[in-house]
Amino acid sequence: MTVLTHAFTPGPIVASGPVKLTLLEPVARFSLRLRAANIPTVAKALGVDLPTTVGERAANGTTEAICLGPDEWMIIAKTDDTDKLVSACADVYASATHSLTEVSAREITVRIEGDRAAELLTIGCPRDIDSIPVGGGCRTVIDGVTVVLWRDADQSFRMDIWRSFALHIIDLLYTGSKEFAAE
Amino acid sequence: MSSFRVSGRGRVDHTQPIQFTFDGKKIKGFKGDTVASALLANGIHLMGRSFKYHRPRGAVTAGSEEPNALVGTRRGPGRFEPNTRATVQEIWDGLQVNSQNRYPSLSFDIGAINDKAYMLFSAGFYYKTFMWPKSFWDKVYEPFIRAAAGLGVSPTEPDPDHYASRYLHTDVLIIGAGPAGLAAALSAARAGSRVTLVDENPEAGGSLLSEPSAQIEDMPAWDWVGKTVAELKELGVKLMTRTTAIGYYHQNMVGLCEKLTDHLASPDGETPRERMWRVRAKQVVLAQGALEKPLVFDGNDRPGVMLAGSAQTYLNRYGVRVGDKAVILTSHDSAWYAAFDLADAGTTIAAIVDTRAEPNADLVAEATKRGIRIMAGHTVTGTEGRLRVKSVRVNPVTGSSVGAPEVIGCDCLLMSGGWTPSLHLFSHTKGTLAWDEERQTFLPDHKAEECEIAGAGRGLWGIEAVLNDGAAMGAAAVKSLGKDIAPASYTVANDRPGTGVSHKELPTDLDAGKARAFVDYQNDVTAKDLRLAVREGMRSIEHVKRYTTNGMATDQGKMSNINGLNIASDALGVPQPKVGLTTFRPPYTPTTFGAFCGYHKGSHFEVTRKTPIDSWAEENGAAYEPVSLWRRAWYFPKDGEDMHAAVDRECRATRASVGIFDASTLGKIEVVGPDAVEFMNRMYTNPWTKLAPGRARYGLLLGDDGFIRDDGVIGRLADDRFHVTTTTGGAARVLNMMEDYLQTEWPDLDVWLTSTTEQWATIALNGPNARKVLEPFVEGQDMSDEAFPHMSVSECRVGGFPARLFRISFTGEVGFEVNVPAHAGRALWEMLYEAGKKYDICPYGTETMHVLRAEKGYIIVGQDTDGTVTPHDAGLSWAIGKMKPDFVGKRGLARPDLVAEGRKQLIGLLTEDGKTKLEEGAQIVLDPNQPKPMKMVGHVTSSYHSDAAGRPIAMALLEDGFNRMGETIYIPMPDRVIKAQVTGTVFYDPEGARLKL
Amino acid sequence: MLLIHCPYCNQTLPEAEFTYAGEAHIARPADPSSVSDEEWRDFLFIRTNVKGPHYERWRHFHGCGRYFNAVRDTVSDRFLITYKTDDPRPELSKLLEKSK
Repeated sequence: MTVLTHAFTPGPIVASGPVKLTLLEPVARFSLRLRAANIPTVAKALGVDLPTTVGERAANGTTEAICLGPDEWMIIAKTDDTDKLVSACADVYASATHSLTEVSAREITVRIEGDRAAELLTIGCPRDIDSIPVGGGCRTVIDGVTVVLWRDADQSFRMDIWRSFALHIIDLLYTGSKEFAAE
Repeated sequence: MSSFRVSGRGRVDHTQPIQFTFDGKKIKGFKGDTVASALLANGIHLMGRSFKYHRPRGAVTAGSEEPNALVGTRRGPGRFEPNTRATVQEIWDGLQVNSQNRYPSLSFDIGAINDKAYMLFSAGFYYKTFMWPKSFWDKVYEPFIRAAAGLGVSPTEPDPDHYASRYLHTDVLIIGAGPAGLAAALSAARAGSRVTLVDENPEAGGSLLSEPSAQIEDMPAWDWVGKTVAELKELGVKLMTRTTAIGYYHQNMVGLCEKLTDHLASPDGETPRERMWRVRAKQVVLAQGALEKPLVFDGNDRPGVMLAGSAQTYLNRYGVRVGDKAVILTSHDSAWYAAFDLADAGTTIAAIVDTRAEPNADLVAEATKRGIRIMAGHTVTGTEGRLRVKSVRVNPVTGSSVGAPEVIGCDCLLMSGGWTPSLHLFSHTKGTLAWDEERQTFLPDHKAEECEIAGAGRGLWGIEAVLNDGAAMGAAAVKSLGKDIAPASYTVANDRPGTGVSHKELPTDLDAGKARAFVDYQNDVTAKDLRLAVREGMRSIEHVKRYTTNGMATDQGKMSNINGLNIASDALGVPQPKVGLTTFRPPYTPTTFGAFCGYHKGSHFEVTRKTPIDSWAEENGAAYEPVSLWRRAWYFPKDGEDMHAAVDRECRATRASVGIFDASTLGKIEVVGPDAVEFMNRMYTNPWTKLAPGRARYGLLLGDDGFIRDDGVIGRLADDRFHVTTTTGGAARVLNMMEDYLQTEWPDLDVWLTSTTEQWATIALNGPNARKVLEPFVEGQDMSDEAFPHMSVSECRVGGFPARLFRISFTGEVGFEVNVPAHAGRALWEMLYEAGKKYDICPYGTETMHVLRAEKGYIIVGQDTDGTVTPHDAGLSWAIGKMKPDFVGKRGLARPDLVAEGRKQLIGLLTEDGKTKLEEGAQIVLDPNQPKPMKMVGHVTSSYHSDAAGRPIAMALLEDGFNRMGETIYIPMPDRVIKAQVTGTVFYDPEGARLKL
Repeated sequence: MLLIHCPYCNQTLPEAEFTYAGEAHIARPADPSSVSDEEWRDFLFIRTNVKGPHYERWRHFHGCGRYFNAVRDTVSDRFLITYKTDDPRPELSKLLEKSK
């Protein structure tokens, strides 16, 4: 087992070896749902593009969007920007209806990086990791648990995991990183 | 070293001696030896006893197909594995090996009495011998059979090893790294594909490791293997050894089991013992070669009787001569080469007995050159020797007549009945096989997957033919990926091509009915058994297999299938293709449960979901219960309390003052959009239009069949935003159902659903002092009864955290549920707990929650309902919006069965003695004196001791229950019949006075 | 484990990301109160249970979350096609033609 607890204190979990694991600082997260016609209006209000292909991402400064479904995006921003984004969306709601639901506390994010980061994912993720382009991402499954993967570099990923599943998945990644280190 | 080890020969490291034990005796071998090769090097052939007859057995093969030489291996406590094939297990210093299925010892075994009684144990003996009397089965026959038959003993200790798994995506997966696989890998990799090459052996090379004298491209075969492996690695090919392809599944998904530590003297502790790979390949090349067939004759199972190709492998790969004086018995050219190699290494070849009248002239010349006696057109009709073959009975055959025997002394008999393409994996795909008349075997026909079969696997023979075929098939595989490459062309010197013929059991001059001619060695199935099965009416090969158990041993018919087919076909009088083959199923070789479990053991067996407050509960001594994947605090025992005492105390404290409860596991769904209220109206039975923002309502969810699916309190936060709660176990199911209706039935609705279960930690405060504890922490909400009455919801701040505050009750007391962002859950809990101390605040768990709600008659969906309960049955008709034109389940409620009289209805039960607590699930009858089987009219759904009522209470589903108020019903238990009275379901504060502030 | 093409993600992905959702093209009657008991029974319970090409629904549960339709041969386990929920029901004869 890892030393990690449900306090989910940000910081390194595995600090060295072929794959490093780090629990990231909290961010603001929103699940955004809307119809295609309203994309431009809401995108403008949020200040970030809303790509329309599943798996594509856009960013503006610290605000990021990833398309997770044909009418669904995850929006990530600085915690301080929470109220600003909520009110910006509320302002355009009448003309461009949508659902913006805060899920900041719903999930926690672990950074997976190092020479064999992509390979580490294969211990539980049936999707071909090579098919996820750098700068892209996807919602997928690892060891039976739904996660969102962000590929930030060839060997650097973020994985968003629902809080109550996070220990299970991080424990698996930790076990895998020890296994890799022993090879 | 022994005289059987050929100095300097083979791929074992003669400079690295290794010592292990076999039945406690120290045995020396070299690094690179298997248990079998090391034992053979020491002149030991006797390695095990057979399953049924306890016949002495030795290794018949040198590979994973071995049916006989099964041993137990041990590496310290907990690390015991039965039925390990001695021909595969590599040795290391300190390895403990034990023979199995023998008592008291391998060389003297009492169970061998079965062998003398073999007439009793013929095919189908289970079905015939032990039929009568019936009562004997449990007490006499089965224990006897279990004790007498069997292989290794199951381990009894937990397995301390760990196991791993991975997914792998590759362009081309090549199974088998023999000549065909290596050549195929070269083609595919040179064309620029991602290639994965796997082999079950510790090193690549396959049959080439047994053919050192061949010259490939003017290079000794072993040098060519080394150079090829180096080039493949250079090209980025993933080469995996000690890795068995165990199963071939849909769309080119292949399961591989990689053994990582079984060959190591001291594993590092971090490396898993085995790793299961799930490989998705665009193309698969099956290059698994062929398996040599035994010949079927009396005494063909005696230790020292072995496949000729395996003897050749022991010599060339391990440097071990399997005997000093060998007789060769063959129907295929390949065994002649084994004879030559052994002769050249110093073994006397007493005779080459070839069943063919005119063997190949070149081979005859080679044999003659070595002075070997050739007995063409002969058969073997028996062997002698107790624990090791000592002589062979050889007879000439002319047409159908078998001539007089000659007995030839020997210490080993090396046989070859030809070669069977290894098509197990191909058969997993439901690829079809076609009978090849010339080769007398099945070859791949129609392919069901994107794959190629290369080399001996499709009936080719000889290194050159196989190499060129491998190269071509590798090229063919990448061609369908859009890559063109001209396959390399190989020339091989000292090649050993050849042909052969196929046999049923060999002819004999003796009584065939007494012959012990084995077809399936491990399961002790003889040719006679197969013929008996046909005589007794088995026509389908599948029936023959099950009646005789032919092919059902751990080698899965690798040795026995074709011989069995030939004999069955002869007995049935129909050609082999008309008889057909039994189905090969995964795994290809025995695979550990650990490999299938992978990481899923111990604490990682399955997901254990924990709430943000779970750690507080753990620190405060909570007992836990699993609720779906969650673990929830069940009760908080104090000072050695049992559950009953703890729950009584928790209930009392909550009703007297205030209790605090972690309700974070409740499912939560945010329903947002202009059509949110319309969606709610359609999904839930209740009317939502008039529910004002800031108010909450109990919601009831049905299926379209009219039965209760879920329930929960739903708050309206704004005109177009609802906070829906679901049961803990129903969260995912309810969201799935809502998405289904929304996406597929009502896609026009402008509303969206988001799971917020884990966004919020939920703390419930209940009891007359709940408000007093909470109020000081609340900002932005007037907590007076007028401003915040029962069934209200507010977005405010609690303890400095943004919160969704509900005033609701699942206990009958004044109640609040505070939702704060999950990360703030524990902090707020601790604040409230500290502040509550002056009111003797009491943390309680799910059991107290259940009791408190039962005292009020509140149902738990899934406990008091079971998928056949309507709102009316549950006493919830009031929750139905009768004026609504439609909602999910409305039409279902009008079905004839659902409006019928006398349905099972939820009622309360009070036991007559006021002391007996009923068992949940106990059945109810109206007349306890009726004859059995009694008519059961319902069952107890909930039952608790109620501190508030001062007695046990229960709820039950009872036929026509609403019309039985006051009646007495009976609950028959194993030791007595309990009387109970039918009541309403509210046992406490029926007026609801305690909900008021 | 099958590979399944999600028509919304336009990607062919492992079966582990998907959940099965029963027979396709069974629409909930627009006005349930007007249908007979028999018709409602058929809507609730009566399914074709075919051996061979089967119109069925899947959900990309661990992915985009969309329900979609598919034709899968229940004998060979092969998908003939997957298509979006609002796409018309494809004609079987054309699918079989194409798969040859």
